[in-house]
Amino acid sequence: MQVAKLKKHHKAKIISIKQVSLTQYFMKFVPLDDFSSKPGQFVSILCGGLTLRRPFSIASFDGNEIGVLFKLKGKGTEFLSNLRVGDEIDFVGAVGNGFKIENKRSLLIGAGVGVAPVFYLKTELEKMQIPSLLISGFQTEKEIPEGIECDKICTDDGTAGLHGSVINYIRNMIEEFKPEKIYACGPKIVLQNTAEIAQRYKIPCEVAMEKEMACSIGVCRGCVIKIKDKNGEKTASVCQDGPVFNGEAVLW
Amino acid sequence: MVEIQDLKTSVDLGRGFVIKNPIMTASGTFGYCFEYARFYDIKKLGAIVTKAITLEPRAGNSGRRIFETCGGMINRIGLENVGVERFMAEKLPLLNKGGMDFVINIAGSSLEEYVSLAKICENHKIRATELNVSCPNVKSGCLEFGTDEKTLYGLVSQVRDEFSGCLIVKLTPNVTSVEKIAESAQKAGADAVSAINTLKGTGIKLTWAKNRFIKETVSGGLSGRAVKPVALGVVSRISQVLDIPIIGIGGIYDLADAFEFLSAGASAVQVGTANFTHPECAGCIADDLHDFMYENGIRSIEDLKEKLKGE
Repeated sequence: MQVAKLKKHHKAKIISIKQVSLTQYFMKFVPLDDFSSKPGQFVSILCGGLTLRRPFSIASFDGNEIGVLFKLKGKGTEFLSNLRVGDEIDFVGAVGNGFKIENKRSLLIGAGVGVAPVFYLKTELEKMQIPSLLISGFQTEKEIPEGIECDKICTDDGTAGLHGSVINYIRNMIEEFKPEKIYACGPKIVLQNTAEIAQRYKIPCEVAMEKEMACSIGVCRGCVIKIKDKNGEKTASVCQDGPVFNGEAVLW
Repeated sequence: MVEIQDLKTSVDLGRGFVIKNPIMTASGTFGYCFEYARFYDIKKLGAIVTKAITLEPRAGNSGRRIFETCGGMINRIGLENVGVERFMAEKLPLLNKGGMDFVINIAGSSLEEYVSLAKICENHKIRATELNVSCPNVKSGCLEFGTDEKTLYGLVSQVRDEFSGCLIVKLTPNVTSVEKIAESAQKAGADAVSAINTLKGTGIKLTWAKNRFIKETVSGGLSGRAVKPVALGVVSRISQVLDIPIIGIGGIYDLADAFEFLSAGASAVQVGTANFTHPECAGCIADDLHDFMYENGIRSIEDLKEKLKGE
């Protein structure tokens, strides 16, 4: 029988919760017992009486405080946005595979709330003194989350930073920064474009995917995507086999 | 006060398949069980039921598979699994080594497939199987076998001929008379029935964007707290016509829910969707049951069931 190395189900106390953009919140909480994580992994938070937990990429972890960035989307995030400092939350994590950090010049691409895991990755790369550049895209200036520092910003409507989708700037960034590895998180269209461009430049690329989840631990097969396999294709669960996949392996 | 060694929480589901307590986990919500071993000691469960196994590997349905509803969820996984050959080679040895009682859930798209699966289970000395004749998420077979009493009778009889262990038939609520279906399973030689599988349902999500509605439709099986009254209704009704044990399933999140099913006539219960929300849920119910019986001097599940009839 498999023996648990580290407890995966935790209670935590909220130490700060703050609206950081028009629709986004940043919540920090301290787990009541041992916890560890790496960039690209996520936590699955119980949201009141809702049937399904909600998965959130870890946006920061300093050995004590865990931070998640979330966007108001529905009942789960609405519940979380109403929590206050001192409230207790219940979460499963850290789960998922996480990014494979390598000692290579790294271009990090975030889009919308997808900036969270690449922001965490950037902090870790900096600690390891691995050169990195983080470019993030948002719809408009009011959607840029406060406190998430990016090297470059683009907005769809041009109200801040570079004008246009982050997709339009990937090639430029590759030519200028000359990365040896690319990491991305955001909507599918951004990830697909990133993966295809990276492939053209022959740069290894990892993408962090998102999907509705039920169990978040690889049991229910509710969150599968299709990936390439030696026999053609196979399904892979975003929660356990992912959420990070090689850009080349994903069948978009 | 009952002495701890006299406390008997075991339940006999037939053919010598005696589980140490009536708390089980439902197929499809517990993987092959090892996934939950990182949360608690799964040996405290009465038995676990594996994810459905089919003759050939299945990739499952494409598109969105999960839809949360008020008090529940709809799934349309489509029986994704590795197929019986890989299951027996890779998962069975682990289950055997694990030391807990387990039930293999089998699903087919034809009579022949069910019979082949039963033979394979027999050859591997599987002690208990649950016949999935109630999955609403596959195009052919499965549910068809569970909605017609004559078809079900034929299927269960033929599987019975091949399988000598405990044979549990999992019933669907998506029928006109569940009593008739349950009776035909019993007549054909089932040792127990489990009820209910998911209810057929549809979730629709409409988003207004750029002057038009984006529509997402997810049709599949509804589970979770929302289905508990339906499940209790089915268990109550079939308990009037059956002599074999009933395993209650549907919206069980705590001991109080489990008691309601025992009160309605079930001998054991399966915890399903609750595993997703609260990973230790089934283990907690098993602990709570033990504590309740000990603290209140209830010696056996039979005594408990008698008391649960209420006054």
